[in-house]
This record gives sequence, C-alpha cells and structure tokens, in this order.
Amino acid sequence: MAGVWVLAENHRQTLELLNIGRVLASKLGTRLAAFLLHDREMAQEYIEYGADDILLLPSLPEDQSLDAYIPVIAEEAQKQEPDIFLVAATLRGKEIAARIASRLNTGLCSECISLTLDESGKNLEMERLMFGGAAAQKVTCRTRPQMATVPPRTFEPAVKQSGREGQIKELPVPPASALRVLEKKARAHEASDIREARVVVCAGRGIEKQEDMALVRELAEAVGGEIACTRPISEELHWLPENLCIGLSGINVKPDLYIGVGVSGQIQHVTGIRDAKVICAINNDENAPIFEAADYGIVGDLYEVVPKLIKELKGEK
Amino acid sequence: MPRIVVCFKWVIDEAYIRTGASQELDLENVDYKLSDYDRNAIEEAVRLKEEYGGSLVGITVGVPEATKGIKDALSRGPEKAYFINDASFDNLEPSQTATILADVVSSQIEYDLIICGEGSSDLYAQQVGPRLAEKLGIPCISYVQKLGIENGEIIAERKMEEGVEVVAAPMPALVTVVPDINSPRVPGLKDTLMASKKPVISITKDQLSQTYEPCLQTAGILAASMERNCVKFGGELEGIAGFVESLLKEGVIS
Ligand SMILES: Cc1cc2nc3c(=O)[nH]c(=O)nc-3n(C[C@H](O)[C@H](O)[C@H](O)COP(=O)(O)OP(=O)(O)OC[C@H]3O[C@@H](n4cnc5c(N)ncnc54)[C@H](O)[C@@H]3O)c2cc1C
Ligand SMILES: Nc1ncnc2c1ncn2[C@@H]1O[C@H](COP(=O)(O)O)[C@@H](O)[C@H]1O
Repeated sequence: MAGVWVLAENHRQTLELLNIGRVLASKLGTRLAAFLLHDREMAQEYIEYGADDILLLPSLPEDQSLDAYIPVIAEEAQKQEPDIFLVAATLRGKEIAARIASRLNTGLCSECISLTLDESGKNLEMERLMFGGAAAQKVTCRTRPQMATVPPRTFEPAVKQSGREGQIKELPVPPASALRVLEKKARAHEASDIREARVVVCAGRGIEKQEDMALVRELAEAVGGEIACTRPISEELHWLPENLCIGLSGINVKPDLYIGVGVSGQIQHVTGIRDAKVICAINNDENAPIFEAADYGIVGDLYEVVPKLIKELKGEK
Repeated sequence: MPRIVVCFKWVIDEAYIRTGASQELDLENVDYKLSDYDRNAIEEAVRLKEEYGGSLVGITVGVPEATKGIKDALSRGPEKAYFINDASFDNLEPSQTATILADVVSSQIEYDLIICGEGSSDLYAQQVGPRLAEKLGIPCISYVQKLGIENGEIIAERKMEEGVEVVAAPMPALVTVVPDINSPRVPGLKDTLMASKKPVISITKDQLSQTYEPCLQTAGILAASMERNCVKFGGELEGIAGFVESLLKEGVIS
C-alpha cells in the first residue's frame, strides 16, 4: 500500500496538488502520481513539476462528463492501493471524489484547508471548516486511501525541476456513463479575479434594486477598490457573476480593506474575509452580526450613508 | 409520474454558536433548523410533483429529538416521512449517513428521483448525495440549478465554474440542488397543522441491515475566532468623517 495520488481538472490546480503531493511523497518515501486528462503532451511537464507517475486518462466523447472516469479511477486505486489521494475541490472534483471514496469505502475530508503528517509520520491530519466557518474541525482518516478535496489556491503551484524522469501509464477507456452532456454554455463574460485585490467593496442584500449597484460601484471607485458580493446577490438575483461571491461556497479574499454595504455578516460570508486587514461595514441594523466582525462600522441607511461617504472620501463637503 | 424522495437534515443553527473559554464551541444554547439548502431540495421536489404528478416522500437520519425537523419538512409538502433515528446518530459522517440512507431507500422505498441539497449547513461536506447515488448504483447529477423531466429522463442544468452544463440521465437518478434553483415558500399555519397528521415511519438502528463504521476520526473542533476592533460610527456627517479618519490612520486608504 503506497503512493500519493493527485487529480485535478485543470492545469493550475494539478500543479498546486503536485506541490503538496511532492512534500508528502518525499516524507513518506513513496511515489507521487498525477492523473492527466487526455493530454499526453503535458505528461513530461507534470513529471518535471514533481510527478513520478502519470496516470493518463483517455479522451472522452463530447457527450461525456468527468464522472465517466469514476470506474476506471476506482479500479486503478483498488489495484495500486495509494495511501493518500488528493482531488482538487472544483465542483466536478468534489462530486467524483465523494463517489470514488464511496466505491473504495474510505473517508474523505471535504474542502481540506490544511494537511500535515502526524507525529508517527503515517497519518494525515486534515483541517476543514464546519458550521458555516464558525469552527474548524481536525480529522484523521482510519481507512485507506486517505482522501481529501483541496480548494484551489490552498497551496502554491509546484516549481519546475528539469531533468526529472517518470513513467506514464495509460488507463483503459471507461464505459459510457449514463449521464449525457447535451450542451455546454460558457459564462457570458468572465469577471476579474478579486482574490488579489487590495480593496474590496462588497454588495449585500441590503441593496434594494439592481440600479442601485451603481452606488456601490461609485464607492468602490472612490476607494480604489474592486466590487464583490454576497451569495444572494450572485445566486438569487444574478446582479454579479458567481466568481465575485465571497464566502464558504465562494472565494476567500485577503484585501487591506473590505467594506460590506448592506451585508448582514452571516458566518458563511464572514469566513471568506477572515484574512482581510481592516473590515468595515455599513448597515442600518446596529445588531447586525457584521459589526462584531468589523473593525469600523457605520450604523445607518446605506442610501444616505454611501453618498455622504463618497463625498467625504473625495474631499468634497 | 415520478416517485420522488427528498433527503433532509435537522441541524444546529450556526447563528447560535458561541465560543467558550479556550476556543471550544459553546453549544449550550443552540437552536436547531432544517438545513438551509434542504429547503430548496424540498421546494424543488414539490414543484416537480406539481408539474408532473407522482408522489413525494421525505427521509432523514438523526437523533430521536429531530421530530421537530420532520414536522418542519412535512409542512413544506412531502406526503410522509421516513425517520431513521437513534440516540447515537448525532455525529455521523457522510459515509455513514449515505450507507444508512441507502439501506432504507433500497429496501423500503420505490423511487425514480432522489433530491438532496448541495451541502448540509453544519458539515457542508457535499458528500451524502453523491455517495448515496453510488451506493444505489444510480446516476448522480450534482449542483443542479434547473431541473425537469422529458420523455422519462431527467434533464438538468448543472452550474459549473466555467458555465452551465446541460445533462440528461435516465431514471432512477439522484440530483443535488444549489440554492438558486428556487425560493422556498414559507409554510403557513394550515400547512403546519396538516403536517402533524402526515404519517412518519420510524426506523430504528436494529432494523438496519448494513454496518456503517466511521472512516474519519475527529481529533478536535475549535471555534474560528475573529478579533476585531468593533468600533461603530453614526450615519451623520460627523460619524462618517470619523470613519474616514480611522481608515486613513490604518493606512488602508489615502
Ligand atoms: C452552506 C451555506 C453556504 C453559504 N455560502 C455563502 C457564501 O459563500 N457567501 C455568502 O455571502 N453567503 C453564503 N451563504 C448564505 C449566508 O448564510 C447568508 O444568507 C448571506 O451571506 C446573506 O447575504 P446578505 O448579507 O447579502 O443578505 P441579508 O442576510 O439579507 O442581509 C442584508 C443586510 O442588509 C441590511 N440592510 C437592509 N437595508 C439596508 C439599508 N437601506 N441600509 C443599510 N443596510 C441595510 C440588513 O440590516 C441586513 O443586515 C451560505 C449559506 C449556507 C447555508
Ligand atoms: N442525516 C441526514 N439525513 C438525510 N439527508 C441528509 C443527512 N445528511 C445529509 N443529507 C442530505 O445530503 C445533503 C448533503 O449533505 P452533506 O454531505 O452533509 O453536505 C444534504 O443537503 C441532505 O439533502
């Protein structure tokens, strides 16, 4: 029973998992294997980024989705018995990891934010959030493989080392999945990545109408920041794209300044701004939980406060 | 006409969680609620039943005290509920919950479609649905934002990072739904009264045929703390000036 396996849908996340995978494989004195989806060209590159073995998954027909690989991956895992199996926590990744874990009768730590080997050097200690981010749970896995899904950007991408050698193993073509993809619609326009933004102004459900988003934008401009939102704004109202949603099911940001406008501050959202240097909030409910999570708050109606604040920031009184 | 099963969970309302002395969780005064996204799961099941006919039952695994949750779920539309309960079912992990659900579903319920929430409010593991599908050997469609039935097949729009993926799967199938699929209606007094008359089939631990050993071991749970200044200003000009001054002092604006 040996080996560390990593599986990610895309290139960047494969490199991130190769980085942590390399550390674990070296400590365990075992091999590191990376799955590669139908792109043989990439094999040598992944080897140079740290993989010892490439498990090459064959191309799928147009109408098949990632889930078709489940039987092939699970079977290979039964044969090779890896000790650790990390999967990038993309949406598809999370689903197939759970299903593979079920086939292998093993435990899976979902959205693992930290993983280290314990004192014995054999077991992974994994951390994840629970209760919407109000608590962190530390788990170990008694069964093998020890599985975890790892959110994007939890680890830095691996660094290339030329001259590394490795082996490529081609996995068999999977049987067709009962699930058929009928159509793929790409997102209309890709929003900017705000994970590195220095200032973030976040719109919450306290904004009444879509037109009023202009007010939030104006504030963002006045403080030189990017705009983001809470889940209801992106999911229910669709006023902003989902990749601007901050929180447990969205992204984590770490700006110098975060300003929440009409944001209540439920834990699932606040979890995503934990690493902000200064947190500010504008809310008309003085008991809103956001004020407990904020450094500076203004208690008041955003429709009165924000225009005044913009004026003040611009130095016009 | 689809026979629909909806899975729901009765959970601690995280808004009541306080942090105890040394970072441990203080669950002394917590209240419970129906897991947020399971309200969307139930609403979608009700909507499908309204559109296509058929039947709708709810199922939950939990401690015997979770009866309030069953009533809450039943007031939202299912005709009856399966309640698999035991005092030891308070800290089950997803692999155990899925095994228990699969055991009862496969032995006692005829179904065409199973609906789960995207993730539960307490664990948010996003595992029970996919694991259950796998145990039952049926297709799984996760993260669904739009759901319909055409020619006896499930047609679903999945919300993926890069856009929408429209998929089809034969029934029986399992789907997990994201919250933007619908806005759950709020049950009225009449719904609540009707709920208490609906049948609840209680299933105890000794009636289960499969074992469900945990795979994971929890080494500890600590509250995630957040130390902040918590300074509040008023919304009048003076307050706003004070606010801006504080940000200037922090050096986060210039
Ligand atoms: C499993 C799970 C995962 C989740 N993941 C996320 C996530 O990743 N991100 C996320 O954001 N949420 C997430 N949520 C949802 C989260 O629990 C909250 O429902 C959400 O963050 C609330 O958004 P909001 O603050 O915009 O809206 P609300 O909670 O409706 O708050 C609106 C606020 O605006 C204030 N307000 C109203 N009018 C005015 C006015 N005129 N002036 C000033 N203030 C005003 C109100 O006082 C209120 O505090 C998740 C929930 C669950 C169960
Ligand atoms: N104890 C339970 N009883 C019934 N259904 C559950 C239970 N736990 C989880 N589920 C279902 O599985 C979904 C995902 O839960 P989780 O894997 O814990 O995030 C929930 O939204 C429910 O639909």
